Amino acid sequence: MDILFTALSLILLGGALPLLAHHRFRFLKMLYITLLATGSLTGVYGLYAVWQHQAAAVSSWPWLHLFTLSFALDSLSTIFLLPVFLISPLIALYSYHYLEKPEASWRVAVNCFFFSLLIASMVLVTVAANMVTFALAWELMSLSSFFLVMYDYEKEETQAAGYLYLLFTQTGALCIFAAFGVIFTATGSLSFAQIGQLPHGLKLVVFFLTLAGFGSKAGVFPLHIWLPHAHPAAPSHVSALLSGVMIKMGIYGIFRMYLLLNDSTPIFPQTILVCGMLSGMLGVIYALSKRDIKRLLAYSSIENIGIILVGAGLGMLGVSSGNPTMAAFGFAGSLLHVLNHALFKSLLFMGAGAILHKTGTRLLDQLGGLMKTMPVTGRTFLAGSVAISGLPPLNGFISEFLIYYAGFQGLGLKGSAFLFSMFAIISMALIGGLASACFTKVVGIAFLGEPRSDKGRTAVECGPAMQVAMILLALTCLLIGLWPEPFIQVAFSGLRDMPPLATISPAILGVIPHNLALAARLFLGLLLVTLGLRFLLYRSKPIGQSSTWGCGFSQPTSRMQYTGTSYAMSMVAFHRPFVRVKTEYSVINTVFPRWAGYTNKVGDIAEIGLHRALIHPLLWGLGKLRWIQHGHIQLYIGYIIVTIAVLLLVV
Amino acid sequence: MESFIALGIALISAPLFPGIILKIKAFFAGKKGPPLLIKYYTLAKLLRKGSVYSTSTTFVFRMGPVVSCASAVMVLLFFPFAGTTPLFSFHGDVIVLFYILGVGRFFTIAAALDTASPFEGMGAAREAFFATLAEATIFVVLILFYRMNGSLSLAAYFSGSESISLAGPHGALLLLVIVSLFMTLLVENSRVPVDDPATHLELTMIHEVMILDHSGPDLALIEIGSFYKLFFYAAFIACLIKPPLLAGAVANTLLFYGLLIVVYVAIGITESITARLKMNLVPKYILTSFALSFFAIILTMELV
Repeated sequence: MDILFTALSLILLGGALPLLAHHRFRFLKMLYITLLATGSLTGVYGLYAVWQHQAAAVSSWPWLHLFTLSFALDSLSTIFLLPVFLISPLIALYSYHYLEKPEASWRVAVNCFFFSLLIASMVLVTVAANMVTFALAWELMSLSSFFLVMYDYEKEETQAAGYLYLLFTQTGALCIFAAFGVIFTATGSLSFAQIGQLPHGLKLVVFFLTLAGFGSKAGVFPLHIWLPHAHPAAPSHVSALLSGVMIKMGIYGIFRMYLLLNDSTPIFPQTILVCGMLSGMLGVIYALSKRDIKRLLAYSSIENIGIILVGAGLGMLGVSSGNPTMAAFGFAGSLLHVLNHALFKSLLFMGAGAILHKTGTRLLDQLGGLMKTMPVTGRTFLAGSVAISGLPPLNGFISEFLIYYAGFQGLGLKGSAFLFSMFAIISMALIGGLASACFTKVVGIAFLGEPRSDKGRTAVECGPAMQVAMILLALTCLLIGLWPEPFIQVAFSGLRDMPPLATISPAILGVIPHNLALAARLFLGLLLVTLGLRFLLYRSKPIGQSSTWGCGFSQPTSRMQYTGTSYAMSMVAFHRPFVRVKTEYSVINTVFPRWAGYTNKVGDIAEIGLHRALIHPLLWGLGKLRWIQHGHIQLYIGYIIVTIAVLLLVV
Repeated sequence: MESFIALGIALISAPLFPGIILKIKAFFAGKKGPPLLIKYYTLAKLLRKGSVYSTSTTFVFRMGPVVSCASAVMVLLFFPFAGTTPLFSFHGDVIVLFYILGVGRFFTIAAALDTASPFEGMGAAREAFFATLAEATIFVVLILFYRMNGSLSLAAYFSGSESISLAGPHGALLLLVIVSLFMTLLVENSRVPVDDPATHLELTMIHEVMILDHSGPDLALIEIGSFYKLFFYAAFIACLIKPPLLAGAVANTLLFYGLLIVVYVAIGITESITARLKMNLVPKYILTSFALSFFAIILTMELV
């Protein structure tokens, strides 16, 4: 544990020093990246040292003479700390060329400070071992991420997004602290170890409260409403960190609560499976309907959180039905997908940031042809898209395969467990197909074809630091896909300290990782052979260049291409009760029409539902009470006197 | 050794069978039709030519045919032709194979969007939509096979002692699965009533329009990939129809290829007597095949 704390202090130092040195802009950034990288590598070394010992490491410090801050690093925490330590230095490297205005150096220094604070608080959340520590770390994480989101605080869109984010995160924290309150009154102690002894009814209450709290942080439907607003508003490297690493802390909370509650009632897996399937399906459908790249990627994060929850739900179903293989594969697939998603989602957000940086727009329907002008961004984004669609031979497929395997194991169970497993498999298939459609849309519209407006025409490749970060992430995705055995072993070893699964040996894996590696390498081999064949076939053939065939039309313009909206329209409209498509079209019915307009908006039913069911009635009701705020200060003093009198006499 | 021979026969004979479909369609139209070996002549012609590339395209356009052909060949490497053990096989390979077909589809769609042509974009959008629904049907069929057999590999489905066939237990359910898989075959391989491979109106095509700008050896690779993919789906259905009666490699192979010809004749007859569906009715068509397989699974639940 001491190595871990050293790493934390290095990271915090890396955050504090730039504030002092903010006049020297490049020195500031290089200092920050060096200290952060050193701290992260120390952290990884610390994780490795604890992992070798095969036992959880604990430590505790007294605080304020009243509370104890206790920390414990077990195998589950190790898995969740891997994305934090591996991806944060790459994101910091990316921000070297992304934040490149020297006149904003003070703002960049503050950004570095809160970035370090966020990383440190995420580490503390994963190693917290009692309620005080957890609450402290959770609030620190929420507040530091709020300040990071508000980087461009002059823009109204950012202010609204930040406010919404703060609201959701504090409401979630409220639910979590309510659950802690329930636990404290029932057990009388602040440590996590007593939670397993609650009566069954209280366990259900605690579970649902924490699901609401952690679910809103993770972006589970219908508590995901803040995600699509906060991620586009934040600068791209912050979005990469939030989406890749921070929302996984919500998943960590759900896992930790499930393990501490230690109850094998079937209600838990059924709820988690329903939440996962809903988030997955609706997340990807809303992602398909979006025009803004970063909003699309935010909804895609919601979809992947859905996949992670489906895996976790299948694991929990295995535990409650007594099927150890299903439990092991479900949880391992879920944990591996946490790592995989952190990798490829950060990569995709970095790519979106590069596009925004160089073209000045986030709207897909104004881009095009960027593969020719931004080759490195294009290739790495293509790799990230293939990975996130869960296609072999990249890493997304490995974790999805493990989850499918768990689902198929569940088909042997009886009754409702069979039904849930079947629906889990079918929803995974649908989610995979729709994700593939969504990301062919992004790659096809933004990078391929011709530029659809002037914004896309003037792009140049982004800075080398950004390129290096993206290339490293893309190569890691390829590595995990082609060589999955060690990574699957790591995911399975994360189950070691989980009480229901401690008896499962890694031998349960059998030859599956070996077979996955075989399939991926065989496919790569076939690809290389076919490429070689194509090269031979083209050896002495004439090759010409011409413009695209336009059915005899000799003057095509780039505006004739398919746009992202048209590509996705039939798929989105198919899911109509869940997607509110609002079309406003001024119909042309005169001979000489003056103007014509067409608008098309796709609304999120959770947001619409929240507005209609909660916000409008609340505002209406509170509007009726407006007469209290009349502005006469004498009557306000009267209010204060009455309140004090009531409090003194009655309470 | 036997596996190599079986694979070799399959790879070489795959372009023969679409010729059967064209002959059947010509017969229904009262014409003589193109020769049976027409697809071989087409491939030879394409391999002799060079290519013209659009100035809008990038390396993705050149990769599309390579990935789609490689994915189709990979699927055949795992298939047990006529009950022989395939070259590769492992528990869970069906999931890998259908996702490999998905990679091929991803790059075909990306290559289509690369040309900056509105027609290809139209085909790509339709292909992405219909393929998603067809994937759901395939996975429902896989769930049913797992319930019947407990295995997840093509070799375990169609070869060995516990293979799935009409004569086994739950055999009657396979009738529903055969109809459902036939409908999925028509969707995935761009056959009438979902898509007409002979039409040349860009507004009505799905697959044909996505490859409009490819030419020469690239187009030959795409054509071979499509032959192998159709061969895979037809062989899947042929293995389901096959009675597990005969022993002896030669007799089994002849029976297998005979049933394969039956499946292709059925495709030809379907193409000749049905009209193409309106584009907005195709999702209903795919969901019908989904419902048939789903109903088959419900029937295995036996009133729990």
